Amino acid sequence: MIETLFSLSLIVLLIAATISLLGTKTSYSKIARRISLVLATTASIFMLAFAAEILLTDGNYSVLAYQITPTFQFSFMVDRLAAFFLSIISIVSVAVSIYSIPYVEHEEHEDRKNLIVGLMCFFILSMLLVIASFSMFSFLFFWEIMALSSFLLVMTDFEKKETQKAGIFYFVMTHLSTLFLFFAFLFIYLQTGTFDIAAIRADPLVTSIAFGFLFLGFGIKAGIIPFHKWLPYAHPASPSNISALMSGVMIKVAIYGLVRFLFLLPLQTWWGILILAMGTLSAVLGVIYAIKEHDIKRLLAYHSIENIGIILIGVGLYVIFTVEGFQSIGMLALLGGLFHTLNHAIFKSLLFMTSGSIVNATGTRNIEEMGGLIKRMPKTAMLFLIGAVSISALPPFNGFISELMIFQTFFQSSVLSNSFLELLLLLALAVFALTSALAAACFVKAFGVTFLALPRSHEAKAAKESPKLMIIGSAILAGLCVVLGIFSSQIFGLLGFSIAVPNMLFIGVILAGFYGLIFLAMREIANRNERVTETWGCGYPMQNSKMEYTASGFSEPIVTILKGIFRTQKTSERSFHDDKKSVFKEGKAEIHLLKFFEERLYLPVANAVKKIAEKVNSMQRGDVDLHVAYGFVMIVILLLIIWWFA
Amino acid sequence: MILPTEQLTQILMVMVLATAAIIIMKRDIRSLIKTYAFQSLLVAVMALVFYIETGAVTLLLLAVVFIISKVWIIPHFMGKVQQKLNIKRDIKFHFLSPITALIVSLFILLFVYLAFTPLIAELNRFNSTLFTLGATVGVSIVFMGMIVIFTRKQTLTNVVGYLTMENGVVLFSLFLTELPMLIEILIIIDLIMLTLIATVLAFGIDSTIEEFHARLNPFSREQQTKKPEETTQ
Repeated sequence: MIETLFSLSLIVLLIAATISLLGTKTSYSKIARRISLVLATTASIFMLAFAAEILLTDGNYSVLAYQITPTFQFSFMVDRLAAFFLSIISIVSVAVSIYSIPYVEHEEHEDRKNLIVGLMCFFILSMLLVIASFSMFSFLFFWEIMALSSFLLVMTDFEKKETQKAGIFYFVMTHLSTLFLFFAFLFIYLQTGTFDIAAIRADPLVTSIAFGFLFLGFGIKAGIIPFHKWLPYAHPASPSNISALMSGVMIKVAIYGLVRFLFLLPLQTWWGILILAMGTLSAVLGVIYAIKEHDIKRLLAYHSIENIGIILIGVGLYVIFTVEGFQSIGMLALLGGLFHTLNHAIFKSLLFMTSGSIVNATGTRNIEEMGGLIKRMPKTAMLFLIGAVSISALPPFNGFISELMIFQTFFQSSVLSNSFLELLLLLALAVFALTSALAAACFVKAFGVTFLALPRSHEAKAAKESPKLMIIGSAILAGLCVVLGIFSSQIFGLLGFSIAVPNMLFIGVILAGFYGLIFLAMREIANRNERVTETWGCGYPMQNSKMEYTASGFSEPIVTILKGIFRTQKTSERSFHDDKKSVFKEGKAEIHLLKFFEERLYLPVANAVKKIAEKVNSMQRGDVDLHVAYGFVMIVILLLIIWWFA
Repeated sequence: MILPTEQLTQILMVMVLATAAIIIMKRDIRSLIKTYAFQSLLVAVMALVFYIETGAVTLLLLAVVFIISKVWIIPHFMGKVQQKLNIKRDIKFHFLSPITALIVSLFILLFVYLAFTPLIAELNRFNSTLFTLGATVGVSIVFMGMIVIFTRKQTLTNVVGYLTMENGVVLFSLFLTELPMLIEILIIIDLIMLTLIATVLAFGIDSTIEEFHARLNPFSREQQTKKPEETTQ
């Protein structure tokens, strides 16, 4: 019964994709994409039920679907780890599919709506199959389908220059990722003679090389710094439901891959150090870059980098503690990392979906042009707030628990006998703490500037609440943020892990009681005489939106403190009416931020590749005679070789 | 009467080589086509000699098919095309001038001999020097045909190059293995199709590939840099 749910879900998804794509450019296109999205929701629910069954019973399901040859086969196996990631994908897919029903109607081009829906179904399907894959061959196969379908989705508005740039970045990076995975798998295949994932057992050097390739491949896809650059380009360029899927789920597939192979390979300490270091770097730089962003979706994309960093910190700690012989502490770190994976998938998808609603309502992604939306879109504002609070790791929401688990692992670093490791963990802890604080600051900015005060543009003034289904889609995830936070210790208990997380139900009740008490007390104490007045405006007679605290203003102090990292250049030009420079005429001030990785790493490499490509291209002119001459020269060389060796 | 097969074959092979050399050197297209017809005739005669020697009917059939298709139909057809195109001589050459091409082909002959002698020693059915020589000449002629293809600009002479290559293949197969008759016939049908297509191209492209290529790619970089010149002219 439970096994059929798995195949049923996949088949329904495939049907959903087909229906939507067949409906393109027909008079039934709208009904086709609706049916397709409803089917996708159903399929995701089926998959969720299947995954939940495996998770709760600690079951194991494997199937050999199809084999081309005994070496190249599509075989699937779902154990607890896979089921956990399957459930992440299906939870987010349910919400995104519901959200997409009204959302795709905002797309300008009629014939692209069905395409988005169809490709989205393929995208979800390929992610599910990557997770379920048991042989490296099918893993790579579906990984590539995942990359291609998401690339096409990113390119939805392909006419825009910005989207084209995003597309190139994404395409190159995602294929670099596939390339490294291909190297890794080929390498493992050469060592073991099979594409079976479970067959990897080899000596330390061999596994280290394999791990190096795997880490690069998965790291690029997950968006760790310095391979992160595609994230802040691809997420703003793609439709918001797709950003939710890509940021919420797709980069987690890379985490799954990494964790899966870490389970199989014999671990080594330096792997843990590498993962921890890259994770810490990604976390802190991700949030620092996010602070200066005023494009709401790009801000969220940088936060994805930060959260991937946090997840990797958990994974790195797992490796370090396990190798050093402290399995239970390592398990706590891993559970923290995995729980954060789930949490991040939920609140990041929620944030992307609600920001999609905001972008649709205001027509801009720049938060400086928003403001005052809490009165115009109260429900969306509430949902965004829940997401923001969760990502800022405030209790009793889910982000708090997972970050707490990782913090707790850090606190136990004194058990390590290696003082170098201890010092390293201490440093990482400090940086991690900074990350959490900055994330909260960043979301104060994002929420405050977007929703509070007065609108700063006509579009923001005219914004309307989003359609009901978009709210419902986001609300599912918002509800989960609360539930996963408050019932976290019960959930871990249900899954059979006894770990030292505080019972948030208890804390939640206490907190709620406190808030209630304060509320009642304030009501009793407060002056009952109503006084309607304006906030003091420094003596200006009329207050308008120009007097508000802007996003740039909010983040300026942090940008100034961290100017060594941002490489800011402040330039100001002033001109005066008189020689003594006392009567001000006009002035211009600019803060320029160096895009360090793009200008110092990506573009030089890209230019070098381009130069080589031009050289090679000049050899290939499409001239038949020339190509025959190449063939001739090649055969002559072969003849010489034969003569030499024969 | 017993034919002195070995000597005869050797003489024929030298003559085939000579025709290949002429094809590399000649500028006049009419005589190129005639040389090709003569070369095909020589190969057909060689097949005939082998038939008399071994008595395999396939070889006789091969000779007949050769004489009909490659000595008569294809050269005749190409002659007509040449008359219509009204191009008599190849003026320009690519990469190699005819004399250098000839020298290169001499070296190729040497290398092929050196490289193939150890390789085909095991396959030597008749266990004779004739066999090694035949294989060497066959492969060398394939190479010489290739040289003709990439040194000439005219489509018609390119086609002659392809046809020469095919003769080389046949020669090689005559000595080395018995090519099944069916494949032989298929190759000849291919050749006829090739000449037909080449004719279409030749008419469409005003006789050189470059011009056709330029017409196919109006947006290529070279084209775009050329355009301003054209407007100024």
